[in-house]
Amino acid sequence: MTLIKPFLICFLICVPLRLSAAPDYGKFSHSTQKHKAACNTCHKITFPDIKDYPGHDACVSCHRPQFFRGARPPICSVCHSKTSPRDDVRYTFRNPATKLQFDIEFPHDRHQDVIALLRFSHAPQGYNNCTICHAPRTTTFKAVPKDHNSCFNCHWKSQQPVADNCNGCHKLANAPYVTAEFPSRISAKYMHDGGGEKKQHVGECTSCHINITKAASLRGLKPDVPITACTECHNKDGLRQDLSKELLAIDKNRGFTCVYCHEAKVGSQDPPASHYLIAERPPLKRKDIK
Amino acid sequence: MKFVFVAVLLMVTVVLAQEPVAKQTGVLRLRVRVKADDSSPQRGLSRKRFFLIPGTLEQNRALIAAIEQQPLTTRDCYYKQHQASAALIGWLKEGDCESVYCRSIERDSVSGAKAVPEFASAFAASQKEYGNDETALRWLTTNIPADMRDGFYRDRQHALEALIKQGNTIQSVMTDRNGTAYFTDLGPGTYVLSNLIPTELGQTLVTWNCEVQVKAGDLATEKPYLVSNRKDKNVKCVGIEKPMPVCATD
Repeated sequence: MTLIKPFLICFLICVPLRLSAAPDYGKFSHSTQKHKAACNTCHKITFPDIKDYPGHDACVSCHRPQFFRGARPPICSVCHSKTSPRDDVRYTFRNPATKLQFDIEFPHDRHQDVIALLRFSHAPQGYNNCTICHAPRTTTFKAVPKDHNSCFNCHWKSQQPVADNCNGCHKLANAPYVTAEFPSRISAKYMHDGGGEKKQHVGECTSCHINITKAASLRGLKPDVPITACTECHNKDGLRQDLSKELLAIDKNRGFTCVYCHEAKVGSQDPPASHYLIAERPPLKRKDIK
Repeated sequence: MKFVFVAVLLMVTVVLAQEPVAKQTGVLRLRVRVKADDSSPQRGLSRKRFFLIPGTLEQNRALIAAIEQQPLTTRDCYYKQHQASAALIGWLKEGDCESVYCRSIERDSVSGAKAVPEFASAFAASQKEYGNDETALRWLTTNIPADMRDGFYRDRQHALEALIKQGNTIQSVMTDRNGTAYFTDLGPGTYVLSNLIPTELGQTLVTWNCEVQVKAGDLATEKPYLVSNRKDKNVKCVGIEKPMPVCATD
C-alpha cells in the first residue's frame, strides 16, 4: 500500500493536467494568444453587416494537421453544423449556442446626448430615441441590437469606432459567458408600448430608467426604475391608489399576493420599504401581521 | 485539536472584521423648471446635462471661476463659423438639435424645395456608395463632413472634459422631457450642482452652480430639488443669466 500511494497521487495529479493541456479544437477561443492578432486578419468587414465566419485560410495556415485528422475533424464543428466534405453548411454567425467571448462597450450617455431627443406623446415627429436601437420585442420587453447593421449606419466610416475598429466596441471578456434571454423583471405586468388604460405608457424611456443617461458603459447597468416612476400616476390622491390598496390588502390578509404590477413569485414577497414610504406608512413584514 | 479550533476562530474573526459595512447612500432628484422670458410660461428644461461635483462652493472655487470665464461659442455661431448653409442651421434649430443625429433625415431634406445642401450632397455620395436610396438615406450621416455632423457636440465635449478634470465630477445626468433627473448612489456630504457649460435659453445663457447637501438614506421619493432661472420660495438653485454673446460672423 505504501508503494502504491505515491503512484496513485502522481496519477491523480498528472492525468487531469494532461487532460486540461490537450486543446479542444472543437471550441474556438479568442483568448488563445495566437488568436489575438488584428481582427481583420481573419474577419472580413462586409457591408452592411458581418454575417459570416472567416474563410478556411484563416484557420488552415496554422491548423492544417487538425483539418485532416480523422473522418470528422473536431475543428470543423466550430463553424460547420455538419462535418462533411460534401456539406459546407455553417451555423448562423455568430452561433447563438456558444458562449459570448466579448463584452460590448457601449456608452449610453454619449448616445443619449446626440441621439435621444424627446419622444412626444402625440404624433411621432421623427426624432431619434432609444427605440432606434431598442425596438419592442414583447409587450413587456424591449429588444437589444443584435447585428452590426444597427451601429454601422452611423459608425461605418469616419465616426469612431468605425467598422474596422472592432476593439472600439468589442472587449475580450475575462471568461466566456452566457446572457439571459430575458432579463429578470420585477414588475412583469408593465407594458412598454400601448400599456396603461389610455395607452399612456408611451413615455420617454429615461423618465423611468433613471440611470441610463449617466451610464458610460454597459458594465453593471441595470434597468433601474424607481417606484416613483409608477406611483406618480398609480398612487396619487384623487387619481388612483393602486399601491396603497394592495398594501391594505396585505394588512387584512398577510398571504395576499400583489398582482397589479407583479407576478405571483414577486408579489408574494414582503413589499420593500420604498413601497410603504410612498404610501406614507412604516414598513411591515408579512410575518409581523396578525 | 485545541490549536486548530483557536486558529479557525481567529481566521473567522479577522474575515468578519474586514467585511465591508453596507454603505448608506442617498438620491438627489432634480426638477428643472425655466422661463425663456417673462411672458413665457414656465416649462421643464428637457435634455440638459447636470453634473455633481464633490465639495462645497468654496472648495470648488477654481472650477467655478473656470466655468464663468470659459469662452463659449453658441450653436448657431458654431455652424455659421463652419460655413453651414442657412438650411442646415434652420433644420438644427427647428428641432433644438446639437448634431445631425438627433432626428431622422427625411426625403424632403435631401431633395426639393426644403432640401438641406449638406444632406443633398451626402445623399448623392451615399447613393453611389451603398447602391440604393433607402440605405443611402439611413446611412446618410456617414457621408457628412465631421464638422457639420457632430463637430459642435465634440467641441462641447472637449470643453466639458477640460472642466471635469479640474473638479472630480462624480456623476452627470440628463433631464427628461419634464426637466426631471436623478443622481443615485451618492455618498452623504456636500456637492456642487452645476451645468458646467451655460445652457442656451431664449436670448440668454444660464449657468447653475449651487451647493447641495446629500444625506445618507435620502430617497428619490422625497420632494425634488427645484432648479430654475427664476427666484421662487420653492426654488433651491437659481441660475445666473447672461445675454447671448455676439457671434463674430454676425
